[in-house]
Amino acid sequence: MANKRTRAYSRAKWLPHVFLVIASLLFAAPFLWMLSTSFKPESRIFPQPGKPPQWLPTTEKTDESGRRMITCQDQPGVELRVEENGMHVLLVGGKELRVWPEDFDIQQQFGLHWQNYADAFLRMNFLLNLRNTLFICVSCALGCIASSSLVAYSFARIPWRGRNAMFVLVLATMMLPYQVTLIPMFAVFSKLGWVGTFKPLILPAFFGVPFYIFLLRQFFMGIPQDLSAAARIDGCSEFGIFWRIILPLSKPALATTGLFVFLFEWGDFLNPLVYLQDDRQYTLAVALQQFQSAHESLWGPLMAMSTVITLPILILFFLTQKTFIQGITLTGLKG
Amino acid sequence: MKTFLIWMAVICCGAVVFAALWPRQAVGGAERRALAEGRTIIQYWDRHQGHEHDMRLVLIDEFNRSQDKIYIRALSVGFNSIMEKLLTAIAGSAPPDLCSLESTMLAQLASQGCLMPLEGFMASNPEFAQDNYFPHAWESVAIDGHVWGIPTTTDVYCLLWNKNAFRIAGLDPERPPRTFDELQQYAEKLTIRDGDTLEQVGFIPWQPWDMTGMWGLIFGGRLCDEKGNAVCGNEPALVKTMEWQQSFAADPNSANNPPYAMDPEAMSSFTRSLGAYMSANNPFYSGKVAMMAEGEWQVTFIPKYAPNLDWGVAPLPTPEGVEPMVMGWPCVVDCIPRGSRHPNEAWAYIKWFYSSRPGGGPSPASDYCYAIHNICPRKKDVLQERFTSNPKFKVFVDVLFDRKVVSLPSMPLIQFYTDELERQRERVVFRKTTPKAALMETQQKVNAELERQRRFVDLSP
Amino acid sequence: MTRHERRDLRNGLLFASPYIAGFLLFTLYPVVASLYYSFCQYNVVRPPAWIGWENYYALFFDDPQFWKSLYNTLYFTAFSVPLGLVFSIGLAMLLNQKVRGMSVYRTVFFLPTIVPIVASSVLWLWVLNPESGLINGMLRQIGIEGPGWIASEHWSKPSLILMSLWGVGGAMVIFLAGLAEVPQTLYEAADIDGASRWMKFRHVTVPMLTPTILFNLVMGLINSLQYFTQVYVMTGGKGTPVDSTMFYPLYLYRNSFYYLRMGYASAMAWLLFLVILAATLALLVSSKRWVHYHGE
Repeated sequence: MANKRTRAYSRAKWLPHVFLVIASLLFAAPFLWMLSTSFKPESRIFPQPGKPPQWLPTTEKTDESGRRMITCQDQPGVELRVEENGMHVLLVGGKELRVWPEDFDIQQQFGLHWQNYADAFLRMNFLLNLRNTLFICVSCALGCIASSSLVAYSFARIPWRGRNAMFVLVLATMMLPYQVTLIPMFAVFSKLGWVGTFKPLILPAFFGVPFYIFLLRQFFMGIPQDLSAAARIDGCSEFGIFWRIILPLSKPALATTGLFVFLFEWGDFLNPLVYLQDDRQYTLAVALQQFQSAHESLWGPLMAMSTVITLPILILFFLTQKTFIQGITLTGLKG
Repeated sequence: MKTFLIWMAVICCGAVVFAALWPRQAVGGAERRALAEGRTIIQYWDRHQGHEHDMRLVLIDEFNRSQDKIYIRALSVGFNSIMEKLLTAIAGSAPPDLCSLESTMLAQLASQGCLMPLEGFMASNPEFAQDNYFPHAWESVAIDGHVWGIPTTTDVYCLLWNKNAFRIAGLDPERPPRTFDELQQYAEKLTIRDGDTLEQVGFIPWQPWDMTGMWGLIFGGRLCDEKGNAVCGNEPALVKTMEWQQSFAADPNSANNPPYAMDPEAMSSFTRSLGAYMSANNPFYSGKVAMMAEGEWQVTFIPKYAPNLDWGVAPLPTPEGVEPMVMGWPCVVDCIPRGSRHPNEAWAYIKWFYSSRPGGGPSPASDYCYAIHNICPRKKDVLQERFTSNPKFKVFVDVLFDRKVVSLPSMPLIQFYTDELERQRERVVFRKTTPKAALMETQQKVNAELERQRRFVDLSP
Repeated sequence: MTRHERRDLRNGLLFASPYIAGFLLFTLYPVVASLYYSFCQYNVVRPPAWIGWENYYALFFDDPQFWKSLYNTLYFTAFSVPLGLVFSIGLAMLLNQKVRGMSVYRTVFFLPTIVPIVASSVLWLWVLNPESGLINGMLRQIGIEGPGWIASEHWSKPSLILMSLWGVGGAMVIFLAGLAEVPQTLYEAADIDGASRWMKFRHVTVPMLTPTILFNLVMGLINSLQYFTQVYVMTGGKGTPVDSTMFYPLYLYRNSFYYLRMGYASAMAWLLFLVILAATLALLVSSKRWVHYHGE
């Protein structure tokens, strides 16, 4: 009996892992593909028709006499053996076909093609673009959290007359496709003299962004009213309640907001392109288009740079999701 | 309440600080010097991106160093969103001083009056004489008696064929098809199937580019009349074009399809793999398509991506009983938007860019064409040895001189028109409609839109 | 108005004031302008000329492509929103367990959301390629000839719905944040009552998640009715094959920035606006019955 239970217990422990690993592979596929593409020379980027794509650039093993054997997944039957004297022997179907001298560019044919990364960094003014992007992302995230949480508090916790109509108005502004407001919007910023600066990209975030107002409202509504009532009896002002009770209880939601703003601004292409007038102001997302021209795309460097600019978001997400656990204990204690 | 006000103040201050922190313009070294010298700064928006923009920068740098009055500041906008950027800027009265465009957009913008006519600037300058240019290139910028831009590059289409596939099919690898009948016979021989799947395709008229309008011109038809109205519905040549394209696709409801006809869905899967166009995976490079109508840039790209491909290039086959013609794709042009703050300085740059260098050296424009593997719109330029020394590139050049060049008419709605033709071509191929009905629908749609636009042209000055 | 109500009104407006100011400054004019353009012949360059209901009339009676694109978008929304919702809740539940290495799993499931669209589109075009693609290759192994997916008139929309499911990372994160707010005491109480896992999910988790469900439903609706970028990149803005992926916003985009029919596009935008608004209001009204705010 006890034995059976242990077995069931251990099964329950590894079963989710099996499922999660399989599903993870499915979800990680685009990133892994991008990563592997970023290490391939141009000639090997797209899978040969009818053949599976090659995920790992090369695999290396040692044969019985300790020599390095390098194989390439998308060229089945082709192997490269590195002799002790440094010569490279190309084997096709086990037969020795060609011998290359020591200075053979092994990276070009078989190895990780780091050149893509070098090309990518040389091609764009990376540090400048990064600085611009970070400036926009950080200020938008701060501005958006500060303003949207205030507005959301108004809609969620203060029963003022007309707030429902106002709330529908907030939602409604998200429903009009951007294509038809882009031109009058530009006219507004042009009148304000903001075109050619970062202001049209940053300042609107300080006035509350509908998506995040809605998001935070939903979370604020879920916080027990007794907490506010108790604080009010203690003589706490409305802002005090917002600052001391609601915000600390909403860390997961605030972190999510910050993450989303950051993510959106990080990848935004159209707004920077329309409002900025100098390529030294360009953001990473806009600069990324320099890897494609009318008839030719530099897929290798493009994927390399895509990988590089995805990493900061990845790290940011990793840190953000930790607050989700923190939330449980906090609300659990007080709620 | 007090803390609330503090919070609001923090938000406001934050906003102001962030706005103030960043300088209006991050000015680079060369530009700072240019400003100090009191030069006029010209904003140039380039529709190109990537290495095509880089080449532009090299030449602009040469211009900036060649004199001390003008400094060109180039911005790569890219072809994806140049219209968003340009239209918002024009509507917000903040256009650039100079910009590059595709000529299909030029007619539209010119007809709305947002470009500056250039003939005043170029008066009697022999470098810009009409005779210097290939007629199709010139016609794409000369509309309603004005010249709205200067063509930078142009493209021409020829037939490319895979010699190895010809050998395997028992065809003479040195003799490409010359007529449309031959093209169809060859296509039949070059189509290889394994059961239902296509192993190799002989020819797909809309692969890699859908050019229904241009094929119609090759058939001897016309797209619009003298008044600029669409006439495709009543043009026998265009009906023939549609029927010809339709004949490459099998009719699912018919039992006796011609042997080269293929399932339209299977064909569309050939044309649908993004990124594969310029890669070893291009169906022509990998031997899956044996013949295609393609432009001159392939002369450079095929050796790069498919070095082992044995291929040839020849003028396009032509339909029987029609004068042999060749397709010229309009071009990329430089133009000066109305509202440009420094039109004279912008023109000074254009003049420099398109004229031969002092001492008779090649024009910067031809350097540019050479670097991005395109045909120069100026006859003299493309006859330079660097263009004609490659025998395959020479085929593209020669055909421009030997044959009558047809190109899309420069009417304001040409983009709308060709997109609609393309859409209807697909419907015809999928047997959703008949060629005749499809063209009638296109004509009505285009003319109705023309009518709408004309009604309001007089309303504003 | 009582003193309380007056105080609430004052505080409410004060807290909402950043948005009100921003609305008046940045949003009001563009919205009103686009409404005005929808009644005009407006091609961006020349000033708009009033033509009354002509754009709307042309859309309704003269433009079969308008109806086709509306149908495509509604089709897409009808499947992608509910499926996406179920899928993202499921993922969030799965990733909310206390299992070792969960942060890594969560990050992995979020990956599709952050990979640039150029990269993911290329991959999907290959996965969905009928001839040499991954899915049909696998189906062929077990003896099934797969459909034409993205190249087929009938399978292109299901293909895109499938793709959209794979990008539910954003909704998943919001659900995770929502799950983090469920008070642990409720589960403890349910444990004491001897509730099964399913009963806990049904009677504790789901009710507590309803505010987030409402959020994701409304946003899912707004976003999928405006679904544009992915299909623009994957079809080169053409909506092929045979208009089967000509989604409403794509058609709107072509009219606005390809053909400069900005008045026409504005009319389209406002019709779409009305559709989204009606659907959202219906959801909000019904939400009074099914959304449970723990705070109330």
